[in-house]
Amino acid sequence: MKVRSHDAADPAARSGHPSPLINRRDLVRAALFASAASALGPAFSFAQAVSSGLTAAALGEDGSKFLTDPNWKAAFLNDQQNETLIALSDVIIPATATPGAKEAMVNRYLDLLLSVQPAEFQRQFVDALAFIDSESRKQLGKDFRALAPSDQVWLLTPWAYPRQPSHWMEQEDRPDPAQEHFERLKALIASAYYGSEIGQKELGWDGSIFHGPYQGCEHSTTTHS
Amino acid sequence: MAQGVLQQTYDAIVVGSGATGGWAAKRLSEAGLKVALLEAGRAVTEKEFTEHMPSFQLKYRNHSPEVMRTRPIQRQCYACMEYNYEWFVNDLENPYSTPPDRPFTWQRLRVLGGRSLVWGRQSYRLSDVDFKAASRDGYDVDWPFSYADLATFYDIVERYVGITGAAEQNEMLPDGQFLPPMSMSCGEVRLRDGIKKKFGRTLTIGRAAVLTQPLNGRPACHYCGPCERGCRTFSYFSSPFTTVKDALKTGNCTLITDAIVSHVDMDEGANKAQGVTFVHRATKETRQIRAKSVILCAQALESTRILLNSSTREYPKGLANSSGLLGHYLMDHVVGGGARGTFEDLKIPPNANPPHRPNGIYVVRFRNTPATGTHPHFIRGYGFQGGSSPSFNTGAPGMGADYKKAVKLGTYEVSLGAFGESLANFDNFCEIDPDLKDAWGIPALRISMAHGKNEAALMHDAGVTAAEMLEAGGAKNIHVTTGVEMPGMAIHEVGTARMGNDAKKSVLNPFCQSHDVNNLFVGDGSCFVSSACQNPTLTMMAIAVRACDHLIERFRRNEL
Repeated sequence: MKVRSHDAADPAARSGHPSPLINRRDLVRAALFASAASALGPAFSFAQAVSSGLTAAALGEDGSKFLTDPNWKAAFLNDQQNETLIALSDVIIPATATPGAKEAMVNRYLDLLLSVQPAEFQRQFVDALAFIDSESRKQLGKDFRALAPSDQVWLLTPWAYPRQPSHWMEQEDRPDPAQEHFERLKALIASAYYGSEIGQKELGWDGSIFHGPYQGCEHSTTTHS
Repeated sequence: MAQGVLQQTYDAIVVGSGATGGWAAKRLSEAGLKVALLEAGRAVTEKEFTEHMPSFQLKYRNHSPEVMRTRPIQRQCYACMEYNYEWFVNDLENPYSTPPDRPFTWQRLRVLGGRSLVWGRQSYRLSDVDFKAASRDGYDVDWPFSYADLATFYDIVERYVGITGAAEQNEMLPDGQFLPPMSMSCGEVRLRDGIKKKFGRTLTIGRAAVLTQPLNGRPACHYCGPCERGCRTFSYFSSPFTTVKDALKTGNCTLITDAIVSHVDMDEGANKAQGVTFVHRATKETRQIRAKSVILCAQALESTRILLNSSTREYPKGLANSSGLLGHYLMDHVVGGGARGTFEDLKIPPNANPPHRPNGIYVVRFRNTPATGTHPHFIRGYGFQGGSSPSFNTGAPGMGADYKKAVKLGTYEVSLGAFGESLANFDNFCEIDPDLKDAWGIPALRISMAHGKNEAALMHDAGVTAAEMLEAGGAKNIHVTTGVEMPGMAIHEVGTARMGNDAKKSVLNPFCQSHDVNNLFVGDGSCFVSSACQNPTLTMMAIAVRACDHLIERFRRNEL
């Protein structure tokens, strides 16, 4: 059901345009001559101001529909990056008795997320994907997405576990860039999977709002077993 | 001038419809006064609540670029989300400034009910250890009343609001009129027992404004979890569906939404407030409304801003500011100290379904108490909030089918985070920034606050004691934090129009009435003399009711 905004009848509120009663030049001057640093920092200006209304959530809109849109197009990733991400997510969280990351459209959600993130976040993600491909070519002679599933697992497995420093080889215990790239991608894939409807169901979510009042500890022993 | 004046003259104008404004509107209108209740934001209905919406239906799953763009400050609060961010002010329309080396985060809502829609609901009484703290340690001044003066008002508020909690007979945290307590998890029971045995400290279930049994037609909590997204059964306390509703039911209260109050209008000859001027949020038209009394309940910084913007010839430094103290002694609880860990031997898997308990645990202040004596490194103290429950372990190592299994096994987590007393300090203050205005042309605040050495020592100690208590409870993998978060992060700002008996040393009298202008009241947290370490809203509401009863009495005696 749609909820009508309290201000829906007001054209100024609906359009989001500042009223002419506000003197924008005064505001700009105020911003320029502010004697103390604005808590927002210098990047913000009043020209960006918008009016308040209701959020999409408050209007009851299901924002997840794009995930299953037959005409979906990537907003950020190129085809190679998208396919690499799908392959990677399918190795990290495969379908088992329950659906995996591929079915949960983890790539589509991450593509949307990336499209609105700062450039540095985007760069780190793209670099991590490129690293997986370059290692794949170096070690197995093919792009990651073209590898046999067993070779995909073979390539990634050393990066998926905490590293045991080798004292015998007298290596310095410094961060492993390969592991950092992998961890970054894994964390985002896991978050996208477990944040999806499929992922919530994997965790046991059943959609019910009410399951009775909170029952706390009822154990009589301190072992709580 | 007269063109924009609304026809009716009211007995009282209440500015702000949140926790305190709602009480003022209810109390005054139920006593028969004709009340105008002004709210800067729009009205709200339960139809826009989103507490039952699954998070995967949010397009950006709480990473909305619109929230990042329009609420870069508000989103520092956990409760400002893709679900409900329109309740929070648009930071681009509502600027304030800070000195570069003194950052302050100001979290606020402009919607009917204000922050009572999203508040943390934790509700604790202050004690005489707080009201008379200066007499014990010599820092600053005592409050101008004692616990006994406020106890009956705490009773009134608690009986109506509905506070779940457990009585503890602890002198630091007086018991109240409690609904049945919520129960503790296994981890919490273990922590409570461990620290009682080793340190004699009290861990109790959180005292929260959430119903555990029906009250005044509001059903008990159904434990769906995210209160900050609204509650269709009104089981946590928020003003629109309780106090404001009652006020409107009397027929004596007129609610005016979208009314952004810019200043108080004075009858300078009579030295009386004659009403307020407000700007309509959408049309930006200016109106005046007249009344025999004005009570500001817009929250501490906003009420203070209104007074500072109400200068007259007689009050050039801001209305009701003959003391020169208006805006000074800004406080916000210091946060940042604490610890977290895991109970490795509690093999209880996490649950994705409700019941989700909308409440945590509370460790009662144990530093600088009459029982524990004087601490060598700091004055005053802190309380801990926290909790312990199993959660899904998405950080598990590995990948594939084994990883999926490990996530579901989960880890049993435990954490404690301190809320410490923020000392009243003249140098923590707000004033009008002469060069900055909001989107309605109203001069904006410059806020200048920093936590000091005592606050830093409190948080250091809180890290130490949180760790030792988690150890005592048998937790492992303990991580400690001892930092001091940016002021404003506790969202407990109080103290900018302090109360007192001496008009030279305070802005308000002990009944929240201006020393300078006797028909002007400030009914929110502005009046606080010290911050104590307890969450302030319950005390604000009790003080507001006490102030209203004083206003009603003066009004009936024709003294306003």
